[in-house]
Amino acid sequence: MLKILIPTLMLIPTTWLTSAKWLWPTTLAHSLLIALASLSWLKNLSETGWTSLNLYMATDPLSTPLLVLTCWLLPLMILASQNHTTTEPINRQRMYITLLTSLQIFLILAFGATEMIMFYVMFEATLIPTLFLITRWGNQAERLNAGTYFLFYTLAGSLPLLVALLLLQNSTGTLSLLTLQFSGPTILTSFADKLWWAGCLLAFLVKMPLYGVHLWLPKAHVEAPIAGSMVLAAVLLKLGGYGMMRILPMLEPLTKELSYPFIIFALWGVIMTGSICLRQTDLKSLIAYSSVGHMGLVVGGILIQTPWGLTGALILMIAHGLTSSALFCLANTNYERTHSRTMALARGLQMALPLMTTWWFIASLANLALPPLPNLMAELMIITSLFNWSWWTLALTGTGTLITAGYSLYMFLMTQRGPLPTHIIALEPSHSREHLLVALHLLPLILLILKPELIWGWTA
Amino acid sequence: MNPIVSCTLLITLGLGTTITFASSHWFLAWMGLEINTLAILPLMAQHHHPRATEATLKYFLTQATAASTLLFATTTNAWLNGQWDIQHMTHPLPITLFTIALALKIGLAPLHIWLPEVLQGLDLVTGLIMSTWQKLAPFALLLQIYPANSTLLIMLGLASTLIGGWGGLNQTQLRKILAYSSIAHLGWMILVLQFSPALTLLTLFLYIIMTFSTFLVFHLNNATNINTLATTWTKTPALTALTPLLLLSLGGLPPLSGFMPKWLILQELTKQDLALTATLAALTALLSLYFYLRLSYALALTMFPNNPSGTSPWRLQSPQIMYPLALSITAALTLLPLTPTVTALMMP
Repeated sequence: MLKILIPTLMLIPTTWLTSAKWLWPTTLAHSLLIALASLSWLKNLSETGWTSLNLYMATDPLSTPLLVLTCWLLPLMILASQNHTTTEPINRQRMYITLLTSLQIFLILAFGATEMIMFYVMFEATLIPTLFLITRWGNQAERLNAGTYFLFYTLAGSLPLLVALLLLQNSTGTLSLLTLQFSGPTILTSFADKLWWAGCLLAFLVKMPLYGVHLWLPKAHVEAPIAGSMVLAAVLLKLGGYGMMRILPMLEPLTKELSYPFIIFALWGVIMTGSICLRQTDLKSLIAYSSVGHMGLVVGGILIQTPWGLTGALILMIAHGLTSSALFCLANTNYERTHSRTMALARGLQMALPLMTTWWFIASLANLALPPLPNLMAELMIITSLFNWSWWTLALTGTGTLITAGYSLYMFLMTQRGPLPTHIIALEPSHSREHLLVALHLLPLILLILKPELIWGWTA
Repeated sequence: MNPIVSCTLLITLGLGTTITFASSHWFLAWMGLEINTLAILPLMAQHHHPRATEATLKYFLTQATAASTLLFATTTNAWLNGQWDIQHMTHPLPITLFTIALALKIGLAPLHIWLPEVLQGLDLVTGLIMSTWQKLAPFALLLQIYPANSTLLIMLGLASTLIGGWGGLNQTQLRKILAYSSIAHLGWMILVLQFSPALTLLTLFLYIIMTFSTFLVFHLNNATNINTLATTWTKTPALTALTPLLLLSLGGLPPLSGFMPKWLILQELTKQDLALTATLAALTALLSLYFYLRLSYALALTMFPNNPSGTSPWRLQSPQIMYPLALSITAALTLLPLTPTVTALMMP
């Protein structure tokens, strides 16, 4: 654990001591090396599933894929932010990289924590860097509003979680993830216990976000700079899913009945957010709403609590993390050229940026879960386990899949195909930096289907 | 003000608090509080400004009322029990009276209305004394008595956290915002007073560290309202980058120090089967967080237009001594990882 954490911490002095000319290449190389080293977590030989143990931190098959994704994303964020920060003074650029690094440190600590309270503290600690990323580095005045929404939605959900966790600690005596699943069944009968159940899950459902408490997400995505959107879609939302998977074994007898409304909300959300995407004019907002839809499937898969459901949810979290981050990068390459997120203003880009169209094509296919990508594997597993629970869910999940295909097609056709409008014929050609950036998202995604057991969690 | 006079006043101010700290006799404790009040009055009115005079008068009247109620409570206690010892109070009537008198003295809701008005009339240094040092003596007494009525304290605490958050929402004046922030923090301290006095003390210390830093930052920037704060980003760039963190620490966000007292208090409350109270208190903290967040927006997260000469003051050497601020701001941001050490020290 420390062999990743300490180099990540040392990235901050690296950022401040490197000469201005080498700032971006050095931090990029440093963070890529960290990402490379983090791959060693994937080799898990222990009997209990827990490895890299120290007093406070450990990894197991559930947290490892998310940890590796976190480490993988920092170099990509650095790569993506290089262009739009060039006009800033050098110290602000350094501050920006420091902010991204601190976010990575908190995320590693959150996913690696073996104590629920430690996880909670780090879960909350990611709020401050993300808030600064949105409100300090966003572009428009509405970013302040988005930051407030982001902070208050998350905190209103997570403060009851703290109280609920402390109550759990009082009754079981420990909150260690290593032992908690072996503690005896708790007797939960009263109405207060049901409130406690809701308190335990609400924070994660807001973070996911579940349809109904999702309003903060599109705002945050639209206003955040590219690195903020990337980390929000790829990793921060997954904190919610990860937290739910961790805490659900403790809530055992209650979840079976109490989770019905939440599953319904999640599946209804898949359809609703898909329909919103179909009539969306703002590119980033479209990708954000599509995230809400995919996360709805994840919530359904987790709450159904079958091995297939959990595995599908984990695979979808990883696959969606890479896909949506890639889509945000692509949207940002357009934004940096046309300075607009409105899709109607940036049509027919295949004529102007032909190679980018390939990336758009692959990313859109990944978003609509085409074989052989892991997105399809995940969606199939979730849909199957939901179908096994109740046949009626197929109406919702099936329609949802159809709509997802519809808006992915809409997004691709709208941005890439058709005649090029005359006001954008003089676009700057795409850089190799941008191609590298998207390739580093999509190649792991394509390669993962060759060895999906890396990301399918406990089932292996 | 003449240095000798102000020196005498400051020493008397310290003396009053020390007498209260050291006393085991009610009369002496009351005397210490009175000396303390009388010593700060000339300091408050040192700038002969109508607002300052008004603030002094308001402060004098409320403190006199509180002190006389306190004296009444102690004489009642002496009449009922036949002794003046602080730690041997048993009758619920004087204890309740006494709690209410001290609540008025430190400005707990619903007896808080004087505090924002008074603080608004003072300059930032006197305001700093008012919201940190002046809380010590009453808390020394509150910590020593065994409270009779637990509902009263919890009601006082919840009302303070709620009103402290609510009242600050609509303010544009920094001193009023800080006054409401003080009310909310005192509410947290009172909430846990009967269960763990040591935790109250810990919360008080952290509150003092954070408030000290905030007042010094505002003093350094010479800022008394949000608009002034918005144009200070050119003066001290590093401090401007840290101040939002300081404000969020006041708001109690992890991983900053301000989360520590909130965490420990919620833990204590859940141990006492007061989960609902704990949740309510935690949610009212969101109200306070909103105005801290607004201050951070204005201060550092947006860059307001400045006039051309306004963008260069960072080149000028500041005449203020920075070491106390550097120390306190470090403590106000980074104490959370030391929680086990701090709790071991404060709560053996």
